[in-house]
Amino acid sequence: MYKWFAAKRIVKGVVIYAIIIFILSALFNTVSETTMRSQIEEQVRLETVRLKNVTPAAIVKFQAERKNSLIRQYKLDRPIVERIVFRTIDTLTFNFGKSTTIKSSLGDRSVNAIISEAIPRSLILFTVAAAFEIAIGVFLGLKMAQKPGKSLDKSGTLITMIVYGMPVWWLAMILIMVFVYGLKLFPSGSVHSVPTPTGIMYFIDMIWHITLPLFTLLILGFWGTAFITRNIVLGILQEDYIMAARARGIPEAKVLFGHTLRTAAPPLMTIAVLGLLGSIGGAIVFEGIFSWPGIGNLYWIAVQQNDVPVLMSSLAITIGLYQMGLILLDLVYGFLDPRIKVGGKA
Amino acid sequence: MKLKDFGRALAEFWAEFRKSTSGLIGLGILVVSVLVVIFEPYALPWKETNTKWRSIDYWIDNSAGAPPAWSNLFTKLKSPETVILDAPKVETKELEGGTTEAIYTFTYKYKADKPPLDLIFHSTITGSVPVTISVMRPDGQAVDLASRFEEGLNAQNIRLSADNDGRDAAFGFMKNYASEEALQSMNSDSFRSTNILFNTATADMSTKYTPLKGDYKIIATAIVLDPTVSKVEKPYFVVTGSVSGILGTDDMKRDIFSGLVAGLKWALLIGILTSAFSVLVGVLYGIISAYYGGVVDSIMQFVYQIIVSLPVLPVLIVVSAIFKPSIWFMIAVMILFFWTGPVMTVRSMALQIKEETFIEAAKALGSNNRRIIWRHMLPILIPYSFASMALSVPGAIVYESTVSLLGLGDATIVTWGQILHDAMVGGAVLNGVYWWIIPPGLLIAIMGMTFAFLGFAMDKILHPKLQTR
Repeated sequence: MYKWFAAKRIVKGVVIYAIIIFILSALFNTVSETTMRSQIEEQVRLETVRLKNVTPAAIVKFQAERKNSLIRQYKLDRPIVERIVFRTIDTLTFNFGKSTTIKSSLGDRSVNAIISEAIPRSLILFTVAAAFEIAIGVFLGLKMAQKPGKSLDKSGTLITMIVYGMPVWWLAMILIMVFVYGLKLFPSGSVHSVPTPTGIMYFIDMIWHITLPLFTLLILGFWGTAFITRNIVLGILQEDYIMAARARGIPEAKVLFGHTLRTAAPPLMTIAVLGLLGSIGGAIVFEGIFSWPGIGNLYWIAVQQNDVPVLMSSLAITIGLYQMGLILLDLVYGFLDPRIKVGGKA
Repeated sequence: MKLKDFGRALAEFWAEFRKSTSGLIGLGILVVSVLVVIFEPYALPWKETNTKWRSIDYWIDNSAGAPPAWSNLFTKLKSPETVILDAPKVETKELEGGTTEAIYTFTYKYKADKPPLDLIFHSTITGSVPVTISVMRPDGQAVDLASRFEEGLNAQNIRLSADNDGRDAAFGFMKNYASEEALQSMNSDSFRSTNILFNTATADMSTKYTPLKGDYKIIATAIVLDPTVSKVEKPYFVVTGSVSGILGTDDMKRDIFSGLVAGLKWALLIGILTSAFSVLVGVLYGIISAYYGGVVDSIMQFVYQIIVSLPVLPVLIVVSAIFKPSIWFMIAVMILFFWTGPVMTVRSMALQIKEETFIEAAKALGSNNRRIIWRHMLPILIPYSFASMALSVPGAIVYESTVSLLGLGDATIVTWGQILHDAMVGGAVLNGVYWWIIPPGLLIAIMGMTFAFLGFAMDKILHPKLQTR
């Protein structure tokens, strides 16, 4: 039963996510609490400044009381295991608290506001890039597998190996140096110009901003997909039923896109989604280089300004997105591969 | 497995491997890199790069942001290269009262079209020795640049720079020729001693630079007041040019080529150590999981699931940002993530091997589990992991450079990522300082390519299904 399979997979994903967040909360407990304590100190100081007509003794008393109540409110007076559990629950319920320095575009210091502003921008860039990568990569991979050992296959494999360990952010630096500061063809960063144009120009402006980052991701991106597609398809093309299909006189295009691609779909899907998920990791630095104000850029700023709450929350969100991607992958896999559905009840 | 079997397996492997051109290229680059690491003391132009990369004093005589020496090939006006003059002609004269005078004459062949940036004298001096430096120009004019007298030195390094200490002398020399109005119109901020020293002596020499090419005699005169206690050792001049070395300098005056050579061993170490350990752990993990099965397998698979659900780079960055780790800690964290790579393949292969008759035979002969795993299963499965070992090296190198790029690297070593971090911070992208950005990243990419060549070549041998018909 597919429903059973799906439910089981989702529950498993949530449990794993909870465990990961618990481990991370334990790992970063000390630094989170130090930040919380200094935030409490700051808040008490602010509140003291607002007080009027009070004696010094009353101020000291107020500060001590206020601090204690806040410490109790944030459960900092509990034993360590309990504190870690509370921190885990806070994270799981998206209760991230306040940043120390970073503000959202509206001047809000709530971490939720900061992150929810950043996520869509990252998603736009990386899903568009992934879509292009998959389309180009699968097509190229099929072409490579069709005539293995010929020039296209050979050069494609060679380029895949050459770009294998090339950091995409380094390519980004060079392309920015050449196209932005050298030839002055593209803007140096951000999603929109300031002031932001309206109407149709809004989208044209956005495309102008997204072109260079997208292009950078694409140059390096599709080779890996193409190579793996080639390997998968090459394996399938050696199967007997492909030979039988060819022997029946079915057109080559239909053999390739119908018979071969259908069988290759589940593993290809895996690679595509895993590639997209992998780019979530790489995005951190990539967005920083392009000043693309997504979640990756947020890491960059948070590291620079030592903003622990934003850093922790970004990590929790990133892992959450990653986890969701993995779940989605298994669900789609199960959908594409009938054997999984049948075996689901086992 | 006996040694002879191992030798034969290796010979078979080599016979297959040598058919792959890219594999051989990869092997070649790897061998060259290892040789560079072994002979690093000879390959480094700046010998103390490893320990003094972040010392300002060590790099002080270089010019900041100088392009590579070969950039002269593409420019019409040639820039002088930074040279060290350390082979003087020495003359010693006995003076009255037991003092000696030592005259060190250095010859500098000036051929460029732009003036050098500075002329710096260095010497290690003990006791009380007054030192004077002067320049004899090709046109016969002599300029007494600067002098220094410090008493009671104890083998200390003294530094006399034409640009700092010789400003007055150079200005005085210019005044002899330059016209009154030219002097008035000149901007004293942009005044540089070497612009005068290497200029043709004309009335408009204060504003116009016409190089006076030829042999310059740079003379250091040291008067050793008491030869029994005082002495002058290792006198040398640095002529700071506006181009420098094989790959130029960064804005902290550091020689980039030296930094790259010093970073090579770290890149190799990080990559190989991480991949070797993680693959070993992963293979063992897969075997144990498959061999014992049951509850052990379930628990181990669950732990595996948790680790693969973590995106490596974000976690690595946050861990580095918070714990400020050393390079060894960083390698350990990477191993913690990387071992998952071969687990699934190994597990499925080990499940098959487990059922083979020779394992049954070993059991019947009374071998314990450890012996079966180490002596019978591991040797069969390790070769299959070589490809994944090679292919995970680039990942480790790129991750370390990424973390370093964010400025979270180990500050006691030099890595390519850190050089790129300095380039980012120093505005190299904005200013188009290509010699600072392209080489480090290119080396990372070449390292990645090398191991990809090796890994893919091995993969093809070990998984014959991928072979092209």
